[in-house]
Amino acid sequence: MKKLISILALSVCSMMSAQAAVVVIGAPGAADISASDAKKLFLGKGSKSAVVYELDEGNATRSEFHSSVTGKSDSQLKAFWSKQVFTGKGNPPATVSNAAAMKSAVASNPNAIGYIDEADVDASIKVILKP
Amino acid sequence: MKLTLKTLPLAISVAILPIQAIADDQTNNKIAQLEQQVQSLQASQTASLTERITFNGFMTGAFITSDNNAGYAGATTSANFDDGSKFGLQGTFAISDQTKAVMQLMMKGENNWDVEAEWAYVSHTFENGLQARAGKLRLPLFMYSDYLDVGYAQIFVRPPEDVYGPVPFTSYTGADVSYDIEFDDSTLTFQAYGGKSDAFGVDLKNILGINATWTDETWTLRGLYGEGSLDGTMTRQSTTSAGIDPSTGLPIYLEVTVPLLVLDEEKGQFSAIGGSYDNGSFLAIAEWTRIDVEGVFRNTDSGYLTLGYRIETFTPYVTASFYETTDDDLRQIVDQTSAVYAAIFNGERKSYSAGLRWDAIDNLAVKFDVTYSTDFGDTSGGLKSNVAQEFDDTTVYTVQFDVVF
Repeated sequence: MKKLISILALSVCSMMSAQAAVVVIGAPGAADISASDAKKLFLGKGSKSAVVYELDEGNATRSEFHSSVTGKSDSQLKAFWSKQVFTGKGNPPATVSNAAAMKSAVASNPNAIGYIDEADVDASIKVILKP
Repeated sequence: MKLTLKTLPLAISVAILPIQAIADDQTNNKIAQLEQQVQSLQASQTASLTERITFNGFMTGAFITSDNNAGYAGATTSANFDDGSKFGLQGTFAISDQTKAVMQLMMKGENNWDVEAEWAYVSHTFENGLQARAGKLRLPLFMYSDYLDVGYAQIFVRPPEDVYGPVPFTSYTGADVSYDIEFDDSTLTFQAYGGKSDAFGVDLKNILGINATWTDETWTLRGLYGEGSLDGTMTRQSTTSAGIDPSTGLPIYLEVTVPLLVLDEEKGQFSAIGGSYDNGSFLAIAEWTRIDVEGVFRNTDSGYLTLGYRIETFTPYVTASFYETTDDDLRQIVDQTSAVYAAIFNGERKSYSAGLRWDAIDNLAVKFDVTYSTDFGDTSGGLKSNVAQEFDDTTVYTVQFDVVF
C-alpha cells in the first residue's frame, strides 16, 4: 500500500513537472523583474543594456513564453519583428537552441535575460520572474 | 635504516603519484578553461561581425483584377501581377552601439521594377535616449507609413486605399528626432520631422510635422499634425481622339500629358488621428485624416475601420472606409477649365472590404481580399481613370502572398 501511494505521488509529481511553467531567468546575482519589464525587454524596449536571449523559432517553450509574457503568437511575433526591422527600430534578440545553451548564455553575463522551462532550472542561474 | 632507505623511493613515488595526477588534472582544467575562453572569444568576434551588418528582405506578389476599369488601387479588368507586387532589401550597418546606417532598396511593379531607395539614413541615439536620423526617410503621415510596403507586417492586402491612396508622397529627404517616454506598462513616443519631398513633378517643400504615439502593445493611439507647401505644375494624362483609322474604321486615341494646375507654394495642412486594439485574437484598427490645401487643389477627409479575428493561422477581416473632397464649392463650374478642375478634383466614395490573411507557413502569409467601392455621387469617385464618370462603382479582387526573410 505504501509503495502504491509513493508511486502515485511520484507520478503526480512527474505530471506536474511535465506541465511546469516557463520561467524568466537571469545570472545568479540578478534582481527580480516585473512582468511588464519582461514584456518590454522581449519586445526590444526598455533598458538598452539588457542582453536578451530567445529560444529558436518553432521551440514549444518559446511559444508558451510569448503567449504568457508578450501575448503574441508565433506569427504575430514574426510580424512584430518584421515591422521593427523594416522601420529601423530594432532587431530581434539573439537565439539559442536549447535550455542548456540558454542557461550558459545567461549565467555568464550579469545583464543577460532569458527563459527556460521550470523543470530545467538549476543553481547556475536565478529565476527572476514566474509569469 | 636499511629498511627506510629501501622504502624511501617507494614512499616518494607513492607520494608523487597523486601530485602528478593533481598536476595533470590542473593542466587539463586550465587547457579546458583556455579552450572555452578561445571559443567564446571567437564566438563573440564572429557575433560582433554578424551583428554589425544585417540584411533583411521582404516581398509581396499580388494578382489584382477588377470588374471594370475605374482604376481603384490601380486595378483593371485584366488580372495583373505588377501593380501590387514589390521586393525590398534592407541593409543595416551598426557603426557603433549608438550609430547606425540603414538602406532599404525597393523595386515595385508599378514603377517598372526600378530600384529606388525608400529609406537611406544615418541614425544616432544620444545618451539621454533622443534618437536623431538624417537622410531619406518615410513620411510618417499614417500609422502604416513606416512599413507601407511590408505586407507581412500588416493584416490587410494593402492599407485602405481611401485613406492611403490620395497621398502620393511616401518618403522625404530631411531629418527627424524621436524620443520615447517609458511608463510602467506602456511607451509614449514623440517624433518631429522636417524636409522636402516630390512626386509626379510636384514638390512638397518646407515639410514640418510632429506626431505622438502611445502604446501598451494592446492599445495603440496616435495623433499627428504636419504641414508643407505644394509647388510645381500638376499634369494629367489625357486621351484625345485623333480621328478614324481609314484602314480599320476604328477611332484612334492618343495619350497626351497636359498641364492641369500650377501650384505656387500652396500651403497644405495634414492632421490625423488613429488607434488600434489587438488582444491577440480580436483586433481593430481605425484612422481618420484631414488634408487642407490652399487654392483649387482638393481638400479631403478620409477614414477607415478594420475589424479582424484570429482563428489559429487564419485571420478574417472586414474594412469600411470613406474618402471625400470637402471643398467642392470652391470649384464652381463657370467655364471649361473650372469644369476640368471639378471633374478631376471632386470625389467621394465609400468602400467595403472582406478579406482573409492565412499564415500558411513560417515567414509566408497568403491573403485574399474583395473590395467594393460605391457611392461616387456625381463625381469620379476620386479615381483618376474615372474622370468621365463612366462607372458608378467597382469591385476589386486581390490574391497576394507576403514574405519576409
